[in-house]
Order: sequence, then C-alpha cells, then structure tokens
Amino acid sequence: MTIKISRIPNRPAAVVAVILFAVATITYWDASQMTVQATYGMSASAASYFVALLFAVLALGHIVSAFRPDEDESEAEGADWKAVGWIALALAGLIAAIWFGGGFILGSTLLFAFTARAFGRKALLKDICLGAVMSVLIFLLFNKLLTLALPLGPLERLF
Amino acid sequence: MDSLLYLFHGFSTAIEPANLIYAAVGVIIGTAVGVLPGIGPALTVALLLPVTFKLDPGGSIIMFAGIYYGGMYGGSTTAILLNTPGESASVVTALEGNKMARSGRGGPALATAAIGSFVAALIATIGLALLAPILVKIAVRFGPWDYFGLMLIAFVTVSATFGSSPLRGLTSLAFGLWLGLMGIDQLTGQARLTFGVPELLDGVEVTTLAVGLFAIGEALFVASRHLYKPEKPIPVKGSVWMTKEDWGRSWKPWLRGTIIGFPIGALPAGGAEIPTFLSYNIERKLSRKPEEFGTGAIEGVAGPEAANNASAAGTLVPLLTLGLPTSATAAVMLAGFQQYNIQPGPLLFVQHADLVWGLVASLFIANVMLLVLNLPLVGLWVRLLAIPLPWLYAGILVFASMGTVAANPSVVELLLLVAFGAVGFLMRKFDYPIAPAVVGLILGPLADSALRRSLQMSLGDPMILLQHPSSAVMIAVAVIALVAPFVFRGLSRFQQDED
Amino acid sequence: MRSFFKYGLMAALVGTTFVAGAVSANAQQLELTITAPAGAGGGWDAASRSLQEVMMATGAAKSVQVVNVPGAGGTVGLAQFIGSAKGSPNQLLVAGITLVGASISNKSPVDLTRVTPLARLTGDPLVIVVPKDSPIKTIADLQATIKKDVAKTIWVGGSAGGADHILAALVTKAAGADPSKINYVAYSGGGESLAAMLGGQATAGVSGYGEWEGQIKSGDLRALAISYPEPIPGIDTKPLKAQGLDIELVNWRGVFAGPDVQGKDLDALKAAVEKTVKSKEWQAVLKARGWTDYYAPSDEFKAFIGSETDRVRGILTSIGLAK
Repeated sequence: MTIKISRIPNRPAAVVAVILFAVATITYWDASQMTVQATYGMSASAASYFVALLFAVLALGHIVSAFRPDEDESEAEGADWKAVGWIALALAGLIAAIWFGGGFILGSTLLFAFTARAFGRKALLKDICLGAVMSVLIFLLFNKLLTLALPLGPLERLF
Repeated sequence: MDSLLYLFHGFSTAIEPANLIYAAVGVIIGTAVGVLPGIGPALTVALLLPVTFKLDPGGSIIMFAGIYYGGMYGGSTTAILLNTPGESASVVTALEGNKMARSGRGGPALATAAIGSFVAALIATIGLALLAPILVKIAVRFGPWDYFGLMLIAFVTVSATFGSSPLRGLTSLAFGLWLGLMGIDQLTGQARLTFGVPELLDGVEVTTLAVGLFAIGEALFVASRHLYKPEKPIPVKGSVWMTKEDWGRSWKPWLRGTIIGFPIGALPAGGAEIPTFLSYNIERKLSRKPEEFGTGAIEGVAGPEAANNASAAGTLVPLLTLGLPTSATAAVMLAGFQQYNIQPGPLLFVQHADLVWGLVASLFIANVMLLVLNLPLVGLWVRLLAIPLPWLYAGILVFASMGTVAANPSVVELLLLVAFGAVGFLMRKFDYPIAPAVVGLILGPLADSALRRSLQMSLGDPMILLQHPSSAVMIAVAVIALVAPFVFRGLSRFQQDED
Repeated sequence: MRSFFKYGLMAALVGTTFVAGAVSANAQQLELTITAPAGAGGGWDAASRSLQEVMMATGAAKSVQVVNVPGAGGTVGLAQFIGSAKGSPNQLLVAGITLVGASISNKSPVDLTRVTPLARLTGDPLVIVVPKDSPIKTIADLQATIKKDVAKTIWVGGSAGGADHILAALVTKAAGADPSKINYVAYSGGGESLAAMLGGQATAGVSGYGEWEGQIKSGDLRALAISYPEPIPGIDTKPLKAQGLDIELVNWRGVFAGPDVQGKDLDALKAAVEKTVKSKEWQAVLKARGWTDYYAPSDEFKAFIGSETDRVRGILTSIGLAK
C-alpha cells in the first residue's frame, strides 16, 4: 500500500477526497433516515441529498487533482508540530477546566500560559501569573460589572 | 414636514454639552469593548446597554447610540488588525483589511473603514428619515421566491472569495453548506445531521464557526510557522493616514456600498452579510487594480464596511416600522428602544414621531463623534500589533473563547469551536479559502428555506420562481453572472483565433 | 446570530433585575436557582427573571439565580434539570407548552411529567389573522375556505410543531378537513411571518396576540379570533369558543420543582411560589409585560400537564410530526 500511495503526486488532495466521500456518504445516509416528509413541495432531505451530491462531485475533483503532478508544490515547508501541540494542550486545558467545573479563570489561565509557550515563551510560571491576573480582571469586568454569565468554579465563587 | 421639525429639535437636544460628553463616553467604551477579539458589535452593545440605564432618558439614548457606533467600529478594527472578525458581517472586511495590515498599511485600512462607515451611515440615516414608510411597503412584498433569487445572486458572488482554485473554494463553501444542514429544520421539524446529540438540534452558530476558523485557526497556523518564518510585528510603513490615492480609490466604493447595503438591510430577512459579499464582488470587478485583491486592496475594505454600516441603518426600517429585528445588532437595538419606551411598530412614526427623530438625531451625533474621536486613535490601535506575539495570540484565544462560552455556556459549543479551529488550521495549511465556509453556513439555510417555502406555497410548482417578475429578474441576473465570464472568455479566445 | 438576539433582550432584562436585586430586604432562608431552558430573551427567560425579581422583592426567597440552558426547544435544559434537581429543595424550572411539543417531536427521553409541577403562572392567547384586504371576514369564512381547498389555504406562523402550528391544525380539523394535509409555512418567529402576512403571501396567520397587536390595532391585519377560552379585557377580538368553535389553546408557562421533591421541601417551595404569584408586584409585572394571569395551584397544574401532554401528542400525530 505505502508504495502505491507515495506514487500519488498530490497526497493531501487524495486524503481530502477520501474525507469528502465519507462525508457525502454520511449525509446521504442521514437524509435517507429522515421520517418527516413535507406535505407540499420539497422535504428537508432534499438539501441533504444536494449537499451529498456536491461532496461526491468535489471528491471526484480532488481525485483528479491528486493525480495531476503539476499541481503547485508550495507545500514543501514543514510545520512546527510542537507549537501546535502546545496550543492543542492550551485548548484542552480550557475545555477540561469548564467541563469539570474548574471555572473560567482557571481555564483562561491555562489557555493563556500554554498558548504563550507555543509561541516560544519559556517563562511558563510568569505567564501563568500574567494569565491569572488577566483572567481575574476579565472576570470581574464582565461578570461582576456587566453581568455576563461566565462558567463558575471554586475560584470564581471567592469573588 | 413635521418630521424635519422634530429632527431639528432632536439635534438641538443632542448638541447640548452634557449630551455631547455622553456621546463621547459611549463611543469610547463601545470601541474599547468592541475591539476585543471575538466580541462583535451586538454583544458589545448588549453588554454595555445597562450602563446607560443610570442616565436620564435623553442622555441615555445618546450614549446608547455612541456605544452602538463604537462597537461597530471596534469590531472591524479586530477584523482588520488581527484577522479575527467578531461577527459574520466583518468576515469580508478581514479578507483585504488584514492583508493590508500585514503589509504595514493597517492605518489607511482602519481610516477607510471609519470614514466609509461614517459616510454610509450618514447617507443611510437620511434615507431612513425620508424613505422608511415607503421602503417597508416594498420590503414586505418580498416573497420567499424573491429571497431565493437574492440568495442565488449572493451564491454566485461568493466565487469572488475563492482565491486561486475554484475546486478548493467550492469545497470550503460545501463545508459551510454541510454545517448549515445541522439542526432542526425550521419548516418540518426534521432533525438533520445531529447524530442524536441534543445540543446540535439548534444548529451551528455562525459566530462559533467564524471565530473558530479565523481566530483559533489563525493562532494555530501562525504558531506552526513560528519556528520557520517568525512573524515579526509589522512596522507601520509610511503614514497611518490615507494617501491621495487611497481617497481616490475609496470614495466610490463607499457610495456603492451604501447603495447596496441600505435597501438589502431594509428587507425583513436581508441581513448585513449579503450586502458585504455583493459589495466585495462588485469592487473587485470594478477596481482598476483587480490584481491587488487578495493581497490587500483598499476598495475591498472601503466597500464592504460602507455596505455593512448602511445595511445596519437599513435594518432600522423594518425595526422601527414593523418592530422586526433582522440582524443581531438590530435585536440588541430593539431591547434598547424598549428601555426608552419606544415600542417599534406601525404606529411608532405616527404616535411617537418626536422619539423617532430624537433617536435619528442621536445616531447622527454619535456617528460624527466616532469619527472625531477615532480617527486620531487609529495610530494607537495599530500599536496593538506591537504586543509581543505570544501574548497577543494568547490574549486573542482567551477573548475568543470567552465570547463563545458567554453566548452559550455548553461544553459542546466549546468543542465545536476548537474543532473549527483545527479545521481552520488545516484549511490554511493546505491553501483552502476560509471565507466561503462562513458564507455557506449563512446562505445555505436561508436559500434552503426560501426555496422550500416558495414550493410549499405553490404546492410544488417550480414555475412560481419565474412567475413573479422580481424573482425572475434576480434569477436571470444570477445566471448571467455565472455564465458571462465563460462566454466572454470563449469570445475572446474566438477573436484570438481569428487574428 | 441567534445567541446575540438573546443577548440584546437579556441585557435589558438584567438591568431591571439588577436594581430589584439590590433592594431585596428581610428575605426568608430560601436560596433558589431557576433554570430557564432557553436562551436569554425568550418568553421562559423573561418569566424566570420576572419570577426572580418578584421573589426577591416580596421576600419569598432570600436569593434567586437564573441559569439559562438553551437548546432544542427546552429539552436540553429539561434533561439537565431532571438530572441535577432530583429531590433538591432549592431548584426551580420555568417551562411551557412549547416544551411539551418539543419533547414529543424531538423524541426526547424526558418530558414535563417527570418533574413536579408547582404552579401555572401565565397564559397568553394566540391570534388568528388574515391580511386586511382578504375576502375572509370571519372565522366561519376561513372555515369555509379550508373546507373548499385545504392545500391552497396557506397558513404562516412560528416553527413547525410549535403552538402556532398546533392551533392551525386544530382549526383545520374543526373545519372538517384532514389536518395532515394542512399547508403550514413555518417561519422562525412572529417577525418574519408578520412580513409574509403583510405582503399578502398567505391566507391566514397565527402568532401570539402581543406580537401582532400593533398591526391589528393599526388595521394592517384583520384579527378573526383569539384562542383563549374567555374574552380578555383590552382585546377586542372574540375567542374561538364564543364563535362556535370548541377550540382553546393557551400559550401557558409554569414553574416546576425537580423530580421526587416531597414533604416539607415541597411545601416550602409551593408556599414561596404562592406568595410570589399572589403579590401585587407580580400583578404589576404581568401588566407591564402584557401577560395574562393563568394561575393554577400545584394539583390542578399537575392534572393539566397530563391532559395537555396527551392533547399535544394527539395533534402532532395527526399532522405527522409524531408517531
């Protein structure tokens, strides 16, 4: 298999084609499961079938472009996956904090500090402090002064 | 001409020194909150509305008008400088505006947005004063078939945002359309693509998609390239002010944007997004330097920003005459009006003419105040880009996620936001345009329900779309706009062959 | 955009509750949380926040917090409430007829019979209108039109399966036509369907009376009937029942406690709600918001929920939205 795949000149396009086919199938399947029919005119499934068809056509288009070698080769540059990983961690921290009731301040502090780390800052502890101060200020401004409902955790209840 | 008398009276109240101060304070705090990434004008106004309660009614309504314009302007500032539009109507502004900012021309971009907004709001407010009662009669005649025609035109013009590859552009659009399917279908109550998750039954929020794709996707993308191509904060090249050439290239787009924005904004289901797409497309077609589009053309900022603001004034037409809020910001305005005992509806212009014209005068004054205060501050806003990158992007992410969590405190919404961020990153990495996805999500459901309502009213006969002259014309325009480029290309090739 | 819509109205409401909250004095010990299973700005949110305001102003509770849990016609909030408020002495839920319909058409595993009804609070009439230059002058004319051609009688109103749709189906059925053949064009709310009515694209329209009151009073729409059982002071339009049609449909809202709340806890909550609803502050809120008083105490409300659930299920089944 691997040899075969490496022979495809534009691999990303091939991957996208597979994803598009998958989405088209899911959409088609979802539409076929719909039970409520419109009494007059078109049902809700019509748009789903249309989008599924569109996806299928686009998938074919991507397959064609995957086998066309002269597609622009600008994607030579790599990506700093470590930095992306840090941001992923930052976002995961935010979600976890809110999911498990840690509250807005904790979540935002983690988000801030880890994102700063992703951009090459090494002073993690300092950034945590900075993020915490900023989050507290935002929380006080928006939640207390402007009565915006932000997720509450143990820290927020102190105020 | 009683209305002019009322307007005059409104002005004389609004220019009292105390009221001018309220207007200034409103503009400043409106801009300050509106400028935070991920917080669009509607949320800004909603958050700051209670601040005005403490004043007397006259001062309160003037400060409210100031906050409204400040919030609008603050929203486009983040779109231009940080590529993080806080609402769907500034997505188009971000396209060219951010490119300008990246090449050191953030100052002129902000200036043309501010002046364009001012010009558009000025003209549109006059339009509102003179035309509202007539316009609304035409607007309610707009049937589902007409909306479908309008959507078709909008879809065709989306291609202007596709960039180099139609295949990738269409894929991005299809992604938006697909997301638009999610949720309970309004017409039949059938759930589409919800996979049994109850939180998905209400569909995907446009703001969540826009903030995810733009703000979070952008942060991931910039971080991924940080090692290889560290992005230095761009020094502002030349003047932060508009040059003579900028003025020359801006004034026509401002006027055209106004002409497009105001009537569409006045439609009961028109909204602010469609005029910005249309304006962007028209400016690209008419520009003397079309090659600059995609790399930072000032027309692409001037036109859509004017269209956005003109349509915002346009939404006041159905709002004041029908009590019908047609956009996010209009919904917030409605809440504001009710606070001042302005009960929008057909009787408002008759029963409370003084209030209406007082409001119009306040909007005028606030609009002027915005220009007076913010043009000198353009230099300051551009400095935002001087914040060290780690902190700048960390701050953007904090505010962007806060805006989302505040709008809907659910983990599912947050997961969606992050998922869209990941998709936005991949789309950037593999050179898929972002804007069409947002457009698809906005237009898809509108077009779907407009078409199906038409067919329901005609008992399934598709000819209804062509029987009404207005929709027939719009569909023809869309078809011509789609086909014409191919025909012209064919013709020119044919001529070349003859040579 | 939807969430921003909520925000606008919320901000206005928050402003008023904020002030009310500050002046609440000599309160009792109850510290309540009210779940509004909708975003800020809608009817349930407004009812929750009014309840909060009056409970604190009258001293029926020491502190009250409103939590918005939007989603899927209220079923998301209801499911969450059933989980978190089981046996809880200090949690309330505000809900109404839309949630009854949504639980059925969304095939939600939970419905309102799972929570403990405390009191029915308000009930607003729906109104049936025709365009001002329509040949239809009375509800009898409309019935005749439906009977002649049910497909060509185009109704407009709020979302599919909602109260507007249900009323249109009831009228169609009463006219002797098949309700599953009703041509009901759903819009997202009273605003967009209003434009369709004014533009003359529909035969008849249904909405909450308050939403279209301006157009009815200005003569842009002709009101044929309201769905309330009796005439309402200040509304000239006659009820369907007074015009020979045995139909009533009230857009009611009520307040609930969690599942399995019993004994002293339940009595305390009932007493707090009763004190609130019988106060003059509550009457003032009803008047300011244009709501119609539709109070019923716990036991009566409980029976009402049962009958209403059956009735709504029956209608939704007849129009093909439920099995």
